[in-house]
Amino acid sequence: MNLFEYEGKQLMREYGIPVPESRLITSPDEPAPLPFPFVLKAQVMTGGRGKAGGVKVCRNEEEYRRYAGEILRMEIKGHRVHGLLAEQMVKAEKEFYLSITLQGVSEPTLIASRMGGMDIETVSKEHPEEIVKLPIDPFTGLKDYQLSYLAKKLRAEDKKDLFSLVRQVEKAFFHAGALLVEINPLGTVKGKLVAMDSKFVIDDHASHMEGKMAQLEEARKRLYRYEAPEKEATTITYVPLDGDLGLISDGAGTGMLTLDLLNDAGGRVASFCELGGMTTEEVMYRAMELTLSGHPEVKGVLIVLIGGFNRMDNMALGITRYVKEHKVDIPIYTRMCGTMEEVGLATMEEAGMPTYRVLMDTVKELVRRTKEVQ
Amino acid sequence: MAILVGKDTKVLVQAMTGKSGSLQTKAMLEAGTRIVAGVTPGKGGQELYGIPVYDYVAEAKAEHEFDTVISFVPPKAAKDSCFEAIDAGIQVLILTTEEIALHDVVEIIAYAKAHDTVLVGPGCAGVIAPGICKAGAHPVRFFMPGRVGVVSKSGALSYEIGKTLTDAGIGQSCVTAIGGGPLWGFTQKDAVALYEEDPDTDVIVLLGEIGGGSEENAAAYIRSHVTKPVVSLIVGRHAPQGKSLGHAGAIVSGNVGTAETKIAALRDAGVHVVKDPAELVETVRRFL
Repeated sequence: MNLFEYEGKQLMREYGIPVPESRLITSPDEPAPLPFPFVLKAQVMTGGRGKAGGVKVCRNEEEYRRYAGEILRMEIKGHRVHGLLAEQMVKAEKEFYLSITLQGVSEPTLIASRMGGMDIETVSKEHPEEIVKLPIDPFTGLKDYQLSYLAKKLRAEDKKDLFSLVRQVEKAFFHAGALLVEINPLGTVKGKLVAMDSKFVIDDHASHMEGKMAQLEEARKRLYRYEAPEKEATTITYVPLDGDLGLISDGAGTGMLTLDLLNDAGGRVASFCELGGMTTEEVMYRAMELTLSGHPEVKGVLIVLIGGFNRMDNMALGITRYVKEHKVDIPIYTRMCGTMEEVGLATMEEAGMPTYRVLMDTVKELVRRTKEVQ
Repeated sequence: MAILVGKDTKVLVQAMTGKSGSLQTKAMLEAGTRIVAGVTPGKGGQELYGIPVYDYVAEAKAEHEFDTVISFVPPKAAKDSCFEAIDAGIQVLILTTEEIALHDVVEIIAYAKAHDTVLVGPGCAGVIAPGICKAGAHPVRFFMPGRVGVVSKSGALSYEIGKTLTDAGIGQSCVTAIGGGPLWGFTQKDAVALYEEDPDTDVIVLLGEIGGGSEENAAAYIRSHVTKPVVSLIVGRHAPQGKSLGHAGAIVSGNVGTAETKIAALRDAGVHVVKDPAELVETVRRFL
């Protein structure tokens, strides 16, 4: 779960990480929440809000009303603005970058730089010598020598302040089961470190955080009628693409292989649908529904099944029931093999649905057939 | 011989009496795997397919010898049960469970490493040495004994390529599926290193997919350490940016984890990169 800045900062406060004073605003009619001047920051699930005009300084009542109204109506890179964070103006003497992450790394890793306030990818490309990366052993946590090294690389003046802040961030990261805690910039204000921005990502599988995540979602709904995108109740992964062929597979690897083969054969894929785990007739039926229902652009469907955990008799029932109930008349080609394939293939044949043994043949045949129809 | 498992491998199954545990135990027994005991807390004293079930791994250890554990434990119980298995001093732990909290995965990997246990997974289909031993979910019918060593992240892709090779009359020394990531105990690099040393493997097949940098790590290792021919297929060449395709690790963000960089790194290391299963079969055949 990605947290909004104000949620992340609230969590940081709970872990004792210093953040500037701030208030969440959800309507321009609310009275000014802080003494002027203060900053208004769009709460939005994407980066680049500053460049898009989503961050403004308000020096008086009139500016506050105008900017609050404007920013709340904004859409940034296709993302609606969900509320505003009014934050005390702080002027940083220095800006650092600090994060602890499990994204794109093979172990918990602290990443820091003296060059804060910039995109960390850019810093790592242009000034790789300015990036510090420290692996964290989950059983010992950061060791003292690692902290000393960090202070040296950052040329920290107040080491004690840095150590205590990093320890708090480390605690927040491990305690919250976070995938990412990022502070950019981490400023020094009157010599003391303050988290000026916050990016917090909590692992959806962190069961001890389930209550906290439910609480956050509840608050989002109450505050500004935020509705989280509906979560698929089954194990299915469904990713819409922009072609005209549906693709359903019972494995991520075979799904990606088939996506490549279809493209190489000149086909264009409309959606990627992977069943995941131990599947049932209902899951297969749901995959057909996700792929076809409300998608008139889909001109044909390729179903690739190779059963290990997965039983082909169940798969065939899901496919044939959907096709019968919805009178589907576009080509549906299935490559079916594995556990209980004899029963599955018989069910498909009875329903008059073509099946294949070899993946490449299925791919070529479907692309040829759908091109012919057009 | 094979890698990770062999004819003398003795297996204990964690969560043997559960839905997938019991199904897979039956299939492994049919494949000739020597399963000596099962563990399901609360089911101690029962038997399944004639195999005794215990409450704790240590209780099983007092009665039986085993060197390998395959686990079908649900995600929330995975961490503790892995610690329990590792504490029993086993050599190989195959963790099939998916959707374990990533911080738990971090601890499991670190604990296994500190205790010299090879952890395969999490979220993996495991390993099959056709005709010798199966400690995984691989359907036996897609495989046959031979001299090609396969490693894959995806389980289904390893079945697909196993079947393609078998249909072409090419057997396998071993087929290993290590899981979809984003974190792994046993990596593609580790598998390649073992196949290089395995006297019964002549050709190595490396099946990779978009996301992360594990194929690049394997490529760096192959360049300096591997003399056997390596044939590789990388899937997800046509995957969209920023969306994970069924495996949490299979995601391209910016220019990190793209098929192009992986293919370039592998080619650079002397690996024969192919574009589809048909070309894979042709290429493997040339080296046999």
